[in-house]
Amino acid sequence: MKRFAVTRTSRRAVEPALRNCALVLAVSVLAGCASLSDDGAAREVSTLTQPRTGFGVAPERNERDAQAGREQVARLLSAPLTPDAAVQIALLNNRGLQTSLAQLGVSEADFVQAGRMRNPGFSFSRMRGGDEVEIERSVMFDLIGLLTIPLRSAIESGRFEGAKLSAASEAVRLAGETRRAYFNAVAAAQTEKFMRQVVTSAEAGAQLAQEQAKVGNWSTLDRAREQAFYAEAMTQYARSRHAATAARERLVRLLGVWGAQLDVKLPDRLPDLPSQPSEAGALEALAMEQRLDLQIARRDVEATARSLGLTEATGFINVLEAGYASKSSTGAPRENGYEISLELPIFDWGGARRARARATYMMSVHRTADIAIRARSEVREAYSAYRTSYDVARHYRDEVVPLKKQISEEVLLRYNGMLASVFELLADSRDQVRSVNGAIDAQRDFWIAETELQAAINGSGGAVSQSMAPGANAGPAAAAEH
Amino acid sequence: MVSRRDLFTGAAALVGAGVVSRVGAASLPEAVMVHSAATQVPPPPPNGRPFHPVVTLNGWSLPWRMNKGVKEFHLVAEPVVREFAPGMKANLWGYNGASPGPTIEVVEGDRVRIFVTNRLPEHTSIHWHGQRLPNGMDGVTGLTQKGIQPGKTMVYEFEAKRPGTFMYHPHADEMVQMAMGMMGFWVTHPKNPDFMKVDRDYVFLLGSYDIEPGSFVPKTSTMLDFNLFTFNSRVFPGIDTMVARQGERVRIRVGNLTMTNHPIHLHGHEFEVTGTDGGWTRPESRWPEVTTDVAVGQMRAIEFVASDLGDWAFHCHKSHHTMNAMGHDVPNMIGVAQSEAAKKIMSIIPDYMAMGSTGGSMGEMEMPLPDNTLPMMGGQGPFGGVEMGGMFTIMKVRKDQKRGDYSDPGWYKHPAGTVAYEWTGAPLEAVRNTSSGGQSMPAAAPARKVEFNVRKPSGHSGH
Repeated sequence: MKRFAVTRTSRRAVEPALRNCALVLAVSVLAGCASLSDDGAAREVSTLTQPRTGFGVAPERNERDAQAGREQVARLLSAPLTPDAAVQIALLNNRGLQTSLAQLGVSEADFVQAGRMRNPGFSFSRMRGGDEVEIERSVMFDLIGLLTIPLRSAIESGRFEGAKLSAASEAVRLAGETRRAYFNAVAAAQTEKFMRQVVTSAEAGAQLAQEQAKVGNWSTLDRAREQAFYAEAMTQYARSRHAATAARERLVRLLGVWGAQLDVKLPDRLPDLPSQPSEAGALEALAMEQRLDLQIARRDVEATARSLGLTEATGFINVLEAGYASKSSTGAPRENGYEISLELPIFDWGGARRARARATYMMSVHRTADIAIRARSEVREAYSAYRTSYDVARHYRDEVVPLKKQISEEVLLRYNGMLASVFELLADSRDQVRSVNGAIDAQRDFWIAETELQAAINGSGGAVSQSMAPGANAGPAAAAEH
Repeated sequence: MVSRRDLFTGAAALVGAGVVSRVGAASLPEAVMVHSAATQVPPPPPNGRPFHPVVTLNGWSLPWRMNKGVKEFHLVAEPVVREFAPGMKANLWGYNGASPGPTIEVVEGDRVRIFVTNRLPEHTSIHWHGQRLPNGMDGVTGLTQKGIQPGKTMVYEFEAKRPGTFMYHPHADEMVQMAMGMMGFWVTHPKNPDFMKVDRDYVFLLGSYDIEPGSFVPKTSTMLDFNLFTFNSRVFPGIDTMVARQGERVRIRVGNLTMTNHPIHLHGHEFEVTGTDGGWTRPESRWPEVTTDVAVGQMRAIEFVASDLGDWAFHCHKSHHTMNAMGHDVPNMIGVAQSEAAKKIMSIIPDYMAMGSTGGSMGEMEMPLPDNTLPMMGGQGPFGGVEMGGMFTIMKVRKDQKRGDYSDPGWYKHPAGTVAYEWTGAPLEAVRNTSSGGQSMPAAAPARKVEFNVRKPSGHSGH
């Protein structure tokens, strides 16, 4: 930033009138500027996240905030976790999000700073040459800064707005990721429990086979087959146990809990399917209003429009925003900024710069249109995934599982009549467990698809489309035959 | 239920009686229908040559009409529902409402005309198994006649030449039609009613079906692995008992339309085989037996004097033929300690109950079974569970059973001291042989201790 020092050299004295004048000017500029908010703009971010995730955000800026947060998290963790509670904890506790919120504070400070003039400077020098003593006094005043306050304020305001949207976008993304991790963790735990039943069933079979062989009813071959099935079931169970641990740890990371809080209680089962799926309706239109990436892009268009207008008007004031708000990303803070320079229009009357500003503006416009088109498509795809996973989960619940249950009942009746053996009964019970696991997977897929749909409408979309692969619980193909 | 009197005094009184094509088919004799599985004792013949009617176990004899000296019968081949035993019904194909169809009784030398109406969805024919008749009346589709098409009626006419025991069954799509229960008994009585006269003459056909537990229709492609073995498509405990007055001469005629032989065994008496497929056996060719094998497609008539009072078992001696549907691949659990595994199984299948550790006897356990499925064995006797099924019934010999009375006299009242009793004295030491061979293979060393596990036969494929 270039500074322009107002210097006045006097060999006698500084005139009081000028001093007074400078002070009046400074005070008048300072009086009209923005001030820092008391919560680092969290309230405004909350306004954005509340309708999208159900919860606001709370920056943790001091020990009092931290204490309140810890208490709320402890309270939420005391009961089996619900999806909403998980989201709430993540919004309170996730350090990544806190980083974004702190970043927001930085932006706000920049914005406030931009509305303030630099303090006037005063310099005094005394020089002596021979008999002559020269005393130079000067008052320095940031004139360029003063002239560019409205400009800088407008730009910083836009950047601040962008930061708020980014923080909200981050929060919404975190909420979605947390819900996904939550459903995965609950489903994996449920699957683990059912795989334990497969092991029990295989264990019973192996035990019976051993007894059968011991009393001479069975050959070593028959016994070994049943034993092998058990051995295989154990490895599968071990895998499912690790899968449950991994899913739980993913959730724990998002919740940002550690130490004593690690004892997160998950419910025994996933939430029931809603009785009706929501209709497609005007989801695309809704997404156009709600999506945060679109809002960020729109704001960017407005900002570039303003700078274009400015460039058109002045020509020799060079305002370049180095970047537009891109899709939110964690990690290093964005390194975009701006530079304002005043030039004397002697050689360049600004034609190229105006062309550049226009092109930059058009870039923003096209980018926004692109994001909108993608968003519409993402909503349609997410709805299809949502609807399909709902139908599949309901089909599992209403058709597949009851049928398997009926089969099990019939096999038991056949066992009662000595029409089927206990080994068939056990093989069937394992079959049934597998279909139950399929149902759990389907139910989990539904809730994740629901989360993705919300993200496509409310957040920034971009979620990976779920594959509709069948539950990956293929156990040993069939029970050993006897 | 239809009483025998109603059946033979007029079709109008019949429950479920139907008439084929009354309109425009006045020449057709009435097709009498019966839908009950109870034994119906026929009265003496109302017309034609005299004879002593047979009693079809769990069945009936078909009434006829005399038309200018010709005995006319009307058989209707049609889908029927047959109760195998209370608790289980089968959708079969049969004749005149029943499977097996009604017994046809004629007398040697009778001119017989049989109208056969086909109400099945496919063509059929009737082969008069064992009869001497004109080749064109033999009922082999393609070979001696065209099939009787659905909705059509064809007429068989021949003279009942040879007295004896016969059967009738389709000779068209046999595998399916016989698996579906199409069969019937035929008796040609001798001209002289006093020839080889007996006091009671029971007849039935051996049948086998493969009806999956929980289903109603037999599998028609089963070749050997049947799961229900029947006397006249009834299984114990759904079979009527046979009765006799003490000292009566009893004849039992058995025809085999299954795919395996059946050693038919009577308790408490010796009998002689007095008739085969070929006719009456000469007295000098007979020998006493307690079991006679009735091979596939054969008929046997056995006779004995019911001399000994009591409730005597009468059954096929293939032990799995005196069982109802059972699992063929159920492993032997004898001696298997199950309690630990059972606990685990019950944690997954709460209604599970461990069975078989002490053998296959289900005792008096009552556990829910699939729909339309009979227990593998059942029947309650005066001393407890009879544990039988399939081809098993009882011959009840009583002092005071009235002649011509076929009703069940109830359980036999044993005179004091004539029932097996429990030994209450000191346990007896069994003497065991310690050598491992006789003179030709003397024991070289003390016999090795061999752990020996008795194993019941299981599975009965390839009879």
